[in-house]
Amino acid sequence: MHAILTIAAKDLRLLARNRGHLVFTFVWPLVTALFFGTIFGGNGDDSGKIPVLLVDEDASEGSAALLAAVGRLSGVDAKANVEGRAAALGAVRRGDATAAVIAPKGYGAAGDRLFAGDPPVIELHVDPSRTAEAAMLEGQLMGAAMERLSDVFAGGERSVRVVDRALVEANTAARPDPVLTGFLGEVKRFVGTRTQASADAAGPAEGGAWRPVAITRHDVKDERDGPRSGYEVSLPQGVIWGMIGCALGFAMGLVNERTRGTLSRLCTSPIGRAHVLAGKGVACFIALVAVQVMLFVLGAVALGVVPGSLPRLIVAGLSLAIAFVGLMMVVATFARSEQSASGLAWALFLPLSMLGGGMVPLFALPGWMQTAGTFSPIKWGILALEGALWRGFGWAELALPCGVLLAVGLVGFGVAARRFDRTA
Amino acid sequence: MLTLENVRKAYGARVAVDDLSFEVRAGEVFGLLGPNGAGKSTTVSLGVGLLEPDAGRVDLGGLGAPTRPEVRARLGVAPQALALYEDLTAEENLRFFARIFGLRGTALAGRVEAALALAGLTDRRAERAVTFSGGMKRRLNIAAALVHEPSLVLLDEPTVGVDPQSRNAILDRIVALRDAGLTVIYTTHYMEEAARICDRVAIIDHGRLLALDTVDALIARHGGDPVLVATTSGGTHRESTPDPVAALARLAATATVLDFHVERADLEHVFLRLTGRSLRD
Ligand SMILES: Nc1ncnc2c1ncn2[C@@H]1O[C@H](COP(=O)(O)OP(=O)(O)OP(=O)(O)O)[C@@H](O)[C@H]1O
Ligand SMILES: [Mg+2]
Repeated sequence: MHAILTIAAKDLRLLARNRGHLVFTFVWPLVTALFFGTIFGGNGDDSGKIPVLLVDEDASEGSAALLAAVGRLSGVDAKANVEGRAAALGAVRRGDATAAVIAPKGYGAAGDRLFAGDPPVIELHVDPSRTAEAAMLEGQLMGAAMERLSDVFAGGERSVRVVDRALVEANTAARPDPVLTGFLGEVKRFVGTRTQASADAAGPAEGGAWRPVAITRHDVKDERDGPRSGYEVSLPQGVIWGMIGCALGFAMGLVNERTRGTLSRLCTSPIGRAHVLAGKGVACFIALVAVQVMLFVLGAVALGVVPGSLPRLIVAGLSLAIAFVGLMMVVATFARSEQSASGLAWALFLPLSMLGGGMVPLFALPGWMQTAGTFSPIKWGILALEGALWRGFGWAELALPCGVLLAVGLVGFGVAARRFDRTA
Repeated sequence: MLTLENVRKAYGARVAVDDLSFEVRAGEVFGLLGPNGAGKSTTVSLGVGLLEPDAGRVDLGGLGAPTRPEVRARLGVAPQALALYEDLTAEENLRFFARIFGLRGTALAGRVEAALALAGLTDRRAERAVTFSGGMKRRLNIAAALVHEPSLVLLDEPTVGVDPQSRNAILDRIVALRDAGLTVIYTTHYMEEAARICDRVAIIDHGRLLALDTVDALIARHGGDPVLVATTSGGTHRESTPDPVAALARLAATATVLDFHVERADLEHVFLRLTGRSLRD
């Protein structure tokens, strides 16, 4: 084991010092992912805004004003949904919109009561996987509601009515709160002088748990069967290219050891030939996983490709790496020189990638090519990654592509080990 | 130490080593001389277990064939083609090979230090091999063969392209290691190197052993008689004779000798006579 790790450490060090190999391993796949992702539709919407549907079930002055305020929010691409709640939720479920904001019946009335009774309720329906957007929307909704509240203090007939009513309700409450009633008296004077009111809602907030609006969040099960954005298709492709670039580099490295004679030196040492091959394999595996981590982290941060299931993505990624270690070894042990290694690698990977959806997405290929793709490990690699990223695969569904990938890796290692033993 | 018995190795139809037998004794520097394509490197590969003989037997110190890992641990080899990682530094190369041979910790550090000193690369230890001159790479190549303190080391033309000072230092070091008990198999094209450090020399051609003995014995047996070369008033006189003094006396009686010298046979003469060609073709 020590020998294997020694060889692996040496190979990783050599990788770190080979600029060409580094570029092909880390930069090229990123370029591919960005390029194809942009070609195949990018984010789906160009604005970068969160698509939100607005449903006004209350049809009151207050609800209309709130939804209008939401519509004015930056970062939100709001659409008033005329067809009502069901249609809006359906759209979120299909992924056509990220969230639906619903002002339910009674919103306006509750809003006018202001400081008594339950606060008005706004429903936020959102895809549970989009937690970041949901949190942001929630904050912005609260802000919009606050803005509405400040309208109350802006003076006018409605303001006076609202405060009057609040005073009545506060005074007739079971246990009247002297602070609140005193405050409301101040507010009434303030509103009555029609002075420009401050939008500051900090005063009432002294009451403790008081909120101007209650936002209830509802998870909408994602029932889409398509990718959310072009990047969800292109990122796995980029990963595949990263795997090819990285594996090719290692195959060249192994051939290089043969032509440079270092392999002979290793073969005169007490460690077995299988160790030499295994050491290369371990280094290659580590590098392949590093490429994946880099690409998926960048994909999540920069391209918004958030995996549906992280554990499944990890399993899919590790299986893919094992498959490519096997393929790398086959190329390396069958090639006699660097030129023949790169020739052999491209002759192998180009058609496999083409048929497997590594260049053009599978669904865009003609039917016969999709069928032929079944024989390409790259198809299974992309399927496994997509399954974990956005296809919503369960473990059972993931088992087939990952099983194929593991088998490719093991067969590759077996074939390579046999050949290596006879030719090294 | 290392025994080859009726070893034969062919690449396809070309027989590189043909029924070769010899025994390298423990603690000697054993020279392997032969023209290009004679089968020296193939013999080295057979000796370190990189190749398996088609026929015959290779045995290391009674432990068995060097194709077995536990036998290999006692071997070191400096291949004719440089076998180094060019993108690793001198020190990293040596450390790596030492680890592969199972060295750890302080033992490893000490051995790497000694090997760097042997290669004369201590002050360039942190530079990548790719930046070294040809001779420096050669020296590093030798150091990598010795870093794990093998008991038998096979050096395949180790000093090609090494400058005279470095070559002297390397040869002295090899002799010192031999005196400390190391067994060395040394292939070379340099006759004077072989004559200087080899205790015994095997001359091979076409994969066959032509002669095996000490340098002196080889010269005595195969070098032929000394040659008297004399310049007289009548021209240049060359005479091969077992007794050049008597021959000179005879010549001086018949002509005026202006100048003379005696050419003694050396290893190159032996080689020419045995193989029918010059080494430096
Ligand atoms: N890998 C190989 N494949 C085919 N033939 C080979 C191979 N290696 C060596 N030979 C042949 O075997 C014969 C012996 O080669 P070898 O390298 O052992 O010679 P050598 O004595 O080391 O020569 P040199 O002094 O040039 O290094 C040569 O005829 C050579 O062409
Ligand atoms: Mg040779």
